[in-house]
Amino acid sequence: MKTAMREKQWAEKYPDLATGPLPTAPYISDEQFALERDLVFRRSWINVCRVDEVPNHGDYFVRDIAICDVSILIIRGSDNVVRGFFNVCSHRGNTLVLDERGSCPGSVYCHFHNWVYSDTGALIRVPDEENFFDLDKRDHGLTPVNTDIWEGFVFVHLDPEPAETLREFLGGVADQLDGCPFHEMPLTQTYRVEEHANWKVGLDAQNELYHFPFQHRRVLGDAFVTNDKKQCRYLDLTLYDKHSVWSCEFQRGQEPTPLATTLFKFDGVLRSFTIPQMIGEMDFFAVFPNFVILLYQLGTTTSYLTYQFWPLAIDRTIWEIGVYFREPLTVRERLRQEYFKCTYRDTLQEDTAMHETLQAGLASGVKSHVILQDNELAIRHFHRVLENRLNAGRNA
Amino acid sequence: MSRAGGTVGASEVAEPALPEEFADLAPWLDWALEPERARTEKREASSMAEIRAFYDAVLPRLEEMIRHLEGFRDGDMPAPQHRLYLISLSLVEVANLVELYKRREAVEACDPLRYEPLL
Repeated sequence: MKTAMREKQWAEKYPDLATGPLPTAPYISDEQFALERDLVFRRSWINVCRVDEVPNHGDYFVRDIAICDVSILIIRGSDNVVRGFFNVCSHRGNTLVLDERGSCPGSVYCHFHNWVYSDTGALIRVPDEENFFDLDKRDHGLTPVNTDIWEGFVFVHLDPEPAETLREFLGGVADQLDGCPFHEMPLTQTYRVEEHANWKVGLDAQNELYHFPFQHRRVLGDAFVTNDKKQCRYLDLTLYDKHSVWSCEFQRGQEPTPLATTLFKFDGVLRSFTIPQMIGEMDFFAVFPNFVILLYQLGTTTSYLTYQFWPLAIDRTIWEIGVYFREPLTVRERLRQEYFKCTYRDTLQEDTAMHETLQAGLASGVKSHVILQDNELAIRHFHRVLENRLNAGRNA
Repeated sequence: MSRAGGTVGASEVAEPALPEEFADLAPWLDWALEPERARTEKREASSMAEIRAFYDAVLPRLEEMIRHLEGFRDGDMPAPQHRLYLISLSLVEVANLVELYKRREAVEACDPLRYEPLL
């Protein structure tokens, strides 16, 4: 496949999406935030972590889903099953596990009265149990949350009876990425930043490549294929039922920096590693509502990133960025990965600044609508899915 | 990974701070830092002149450093090699400021210390 430079071709592929402006109210309206909580975050499969976070028996990971006021405890039991529970003690409702990640020796206990739960969620010990009234421990295990795993990504669904399975929810994304060797690229770093921006401002800003040659001109330079007017173009765009993927290619023949010249020198270790599920050289999968998988292959470096946008308030969001690489075989490869990681990080720090200036501009209320071009079509699709979800919920 | 953490002080055993061939890099030992956050903080606390001096001193040695370190596995290096390795990571940490931004702060980016590395 080769990047096609023809203008306005993607709107032709998806004529139902129309081409008009989109309202700014969803970024700044408190009513919107409440609806998103009830109709989106409480009714979607939400990615909370990768199994990388809990590699061994007794390892746990806590994910706060602040918009829904819940804390989720993901724990790998001694039976090797990864389970999800609401992180709340059955006794007096205390938050059970307080640290974000760790490992327990087969059980976790509440700091209030030392009620002890097994790593499979059963209540196994109650101090001074004889002084309770008809207490049957079997009835008071941790409250499970619907949890399922696809290709090592752990998702939870807060609705006790999800309308669809995780597989049905993922749809075309899972069809495209089934078998993708994510497990061969372990998590090597997570960045967390709290932004003064609506969660969709950050997501939308990431979900297009129109901005690359402008906002990131210093750090990315001419990294991506452009047309003769130096404009980036999708290599491909696929809009799924709820999700989307767009792809692009890297430019060849770039002058490497002095550091890159040393780091990219052939070190005598050939590593042929390609991901057959990839569409382009960089694929941006936006998984509704707040999750992104960004795969990419540049030279011998194959890597991926994950983004989660966690809404805290209408204008506050925690953006969490996971960075994944193969285990390096040489020091040179390890340093190359560090270089990629630092460059991602530096690039995304430009994005964080932009998310916040965007929010300020939107919140001023000066503009009632935003305007999108053909290479911003995935944003339009996301808002269509969101709007449909909210409308269906309002009418229900 | 912890034995060479932080800056290097007096050691109980008479061990060189850096491998012999790299003794000349001793002025840069205060860049032998981990984890990533410590390297970012050092970068943020340094002037552009300090950053450039560090970059100019270490970059020409990088190829030699890599070749030397290839004999040692990450996480299982003797302390002098580990310090040398951490200096190479610090070089990567500052390189974009010198090579791409060409100034002290990345232009139009947020404060880098707002990014909390969790691992």
